[in-house]
Amino acid sequence: MHVDEPGVTRVVVADDAVLFREGLVKILEGAGMAVVAQAGDRDTLLAAVASERPDAVVTDIRMPPTGTTEGLDAAIEIRAARTGAPVMVLSQYVETRHVARLLEDGAGGVGYLLKDRVADGQEFVDALERLVLGGSVIDPEVIARLMRRGRNERELDWLTEREREILAAMAEGRSNGAIGRNLRLSPKTVETHVGAIFSKLGLEPAADDHRRVLAVLAYLRTT
Amino acid sequence: MTTRRWVLVGAAVLAAAWILGAEWSSIHAGVQENHLLDALVGGAFIGAGLVAIDRRPGNAIGPLMVVFGAIGYIPNWNNLGTIPLFPTLALASDMAVAALIANIAFVYPSGHLSSRLDRVVLWIIYGALGSTTLLAVLTLPRPPAGCDCAWTPLFAPNPSAFAFIYGLNQRLPFLLVPLFLIAVVLRWRRASRAERRALRPLWIAVALLAVVFLIGAFAQPTSDTTSNPFAYLMWEIRGVIAIAVPILFVWGLLSERLARSAVGDLVVELDKPMPAEDLEAALARTLRDPTLRISYAIGGERWVDCDGKPVPAPAADDAAGVTLVERDSEVLAALAHDPAIEPGLVQAAGVAAGMAIANERLRAEVRAQLEEVRASRRRIVEAGDAARRRVERDLHDGAQQRLVGLSLGLRMLEDRCRDVPGVADDVGALQTDLRAALKELRELARGLHPQILTEEGLGAAVESLADRSPVPVRVMIHDDERLPPPVEATAYFVVAEALTNVSKYAGASSAAVAIARSDGSLLVDVTDDGAGGATIGVGSGLLGLEDRVAALGGTIAIESPVGQGTRLHAEIPCM
Repeated sequence: MHVDEPGVTRVVVADDAVLFREGLVKILEGAGMAVVAQAGDRDTLLAAVASERPDAVVTDIRMPPTGTTEGLDAAIEIRAARTGAPVMVLSQYVETRHVARLLEDGAGGVGYLLKDRVADGQEFVDALERLVLGGSVIDPEVIARLMRRGRNERELDWLTEREREILAAMAEGRSNGAIGRNLRLSPKTVETHVGAIFSKLGLEPAADDHRRVLAVLAYLRTT
Repeated sequence: MTTRRWVLVGAAVLAAAWILGAEWSSIHAGVQENHLLDALVGGAFIGAGLVAIDRRPGNAIGPLMVVFGAIGYIPNWNNLGTIPLFPTLALASDMAVAALIANIAFVYPSGHLSSRLDRVVLWIIYGALGSTTLLAVLTLPRPPAGCDCAWTPLFAPNPSAFAFIYGLNQRLPFLLVPLFLIAVVLRWRRASRAERRALRPLWIAVALLAVVFLIGAFAQPTSDTTSNPFAYLMWEIRGVIAIAVPILFVWGLLSERLARSAVGDLVVELDKPMPAEDLEAALARTLRDPTLRISYAIGGERWVDCDGKPVPAPAADDAAGVTLVERDSEVLAALAHDPAIEPGLVQAAGVAAGMAIANERLRAEVRAQLEEVRASRRRIVEAGDAARRRVERDLHDGAQQRLVGLSLGLRMLEDRCRDVPGVADDVGALQTDLRAALKELRELARGLHPQILTEEGLGAAVESLADRSPVPVRVMIHDDERLPPPVEATAYFVVAEALTNVSKYAGASSAAVAIARSDGSLLVDVTDDGAGGATIGVGSGLLGLEDRVAALGGTIAIESPVGQGTRLHAEIPCM
């Protein structure tokens, strides 16, 4: 039985590469989080999550035994057992299909980042903290790709010109304030537009930055 | 003895019992007729039919003769007058049984109908005899009151209608026999010399049959044969002739001459060039054995079929006889056939087809070699893919992991020396370089073999390629089923190379990838609206891909008129 200080984020970390895992642990601990368990494969990870009930999980996608999508499968399993359990999946490559699978359950608290992003240090820690609060974090490269695909394949006909501009800015991860500054709009106006986008895409109220990611993805995935 | 033989012996015993019982019934009922002759007529048909079944299995003539012979005794049994339903059956068999004889004649000797005309005439005969028989059964009159008759189903008893229909039926031979004869004559005119020879027994039998049925039509059998001595005499002659017919049929069916004439046809047929599988079919036709297979001996102990595919060495057993075809004491081929076929006949056919078999064996040998080359090319492709997958895995688990780990280490170092002027910046610059190296390594590993292809298949991998392409790419995939790994990998690399060319050289504003399946092949189309003028030439990555696609038995073609975009089309068999 662990006795933890209140307010400290408890994390389980999984990766079969020990060097990387140790670096990750140092970064998380350096940011004041507690790494309560480490795993090198899917089964150990699932067992650790079941016994520790951590605040967040960070897992590599490709692990033993098969070296394919163990981390992703484990993430989906963990979230099936506990809806919205914050899980950050890391990968050497980003694949939009993987993101789609992660987002399928529609709940917040999902992260999908290139492994390199961990080396951003504080930014990575911030992203993880957003997950714990119910937000979602998707690698900018995925968003960029989906935006490109969306541009090719569909007409943006159910949103107004202005809403489309704002959605594109959201896809780049900008905050309402930044969008307003960029498009020379008042924060109030931006907020109204964002609300309209959410309702046109039929998104239920949730943690705001999860909703923002979903807005971009849902819009781009709908044909 | 084989099981089939035992069954036939059992059938013969049953038939004998059926005939003896029938004659006993006639005698018991006091019917005055030549019982011996009557037993011999039907017995000849059944016996000949059983012999035909034994010697020419699969030929319809044997069963038809047996059925014809057996049905003929139903009226005898009915003489007892006590067996339920037999009065109706006896009437029906008397009225309709002649159709079976026409059927036997039409399918003689092959066992199946040889022309449309024969088919039409046979339908008319069956139709005319069958419909009158049915109507007669339906209108069958009520038996006289007080009759101690066997149970007979009555439908719409009508004595006058019945008399009319029965009379009509009994006179149908005046119409049907000439019709039948016309069909037989026309068949003769169509036939080749060899076929005519084979048909000779049929001619004799037909002539005899015509006499038999004409006699039957003129000399109405009555219950009181003695009152009309002429009719009685004709009836006896009819019986004697009738015995000859089945014997003639079977003799013709089994005669060496008939078989030799088929071998003669084979020689004529083989004179024309024909595809390999037709040689097998021609021999199968000649020997009337659809199960016949040829295996070719191609050096050593190796045997192949006509496509050059390896087959086990042919061995004789209960289910198959094996006849070797030799030339200059060298075994060329083996014919696996129905063991019931007379060995001499197979030998004769093998000799007749000797030259064709020798040619075919050479072709089969070349095909076998080609098949081996193809298989080894495919193995090379598969080994290459396996090596690529292994290297990708090694990079992922090794260098990439280490570099990411290193990147984390640098990050922590950067944090620790934030206060040391200059050093933090240097570490930051190293970090940037390291990121670039990681990115390059990632692209390299991905190019070797994308993990998503193994995980999720071609559709996902191609979508991923399209996502990465700097030129907008539209992807259309029909039927995203998983395919064998070499097929998926080849299609993937074709698309990857094509898209690389599109973004590097074509100057296109958009491209499209279409993947579909048709006729067991995967069709891959990559089109763009660029400058065109592309070729599969030396130095092009497509040349290597062409080899790769060809190794799987596929093709790749490029259409690229200058100024009109490029269309790359690949077809890869799904194996």
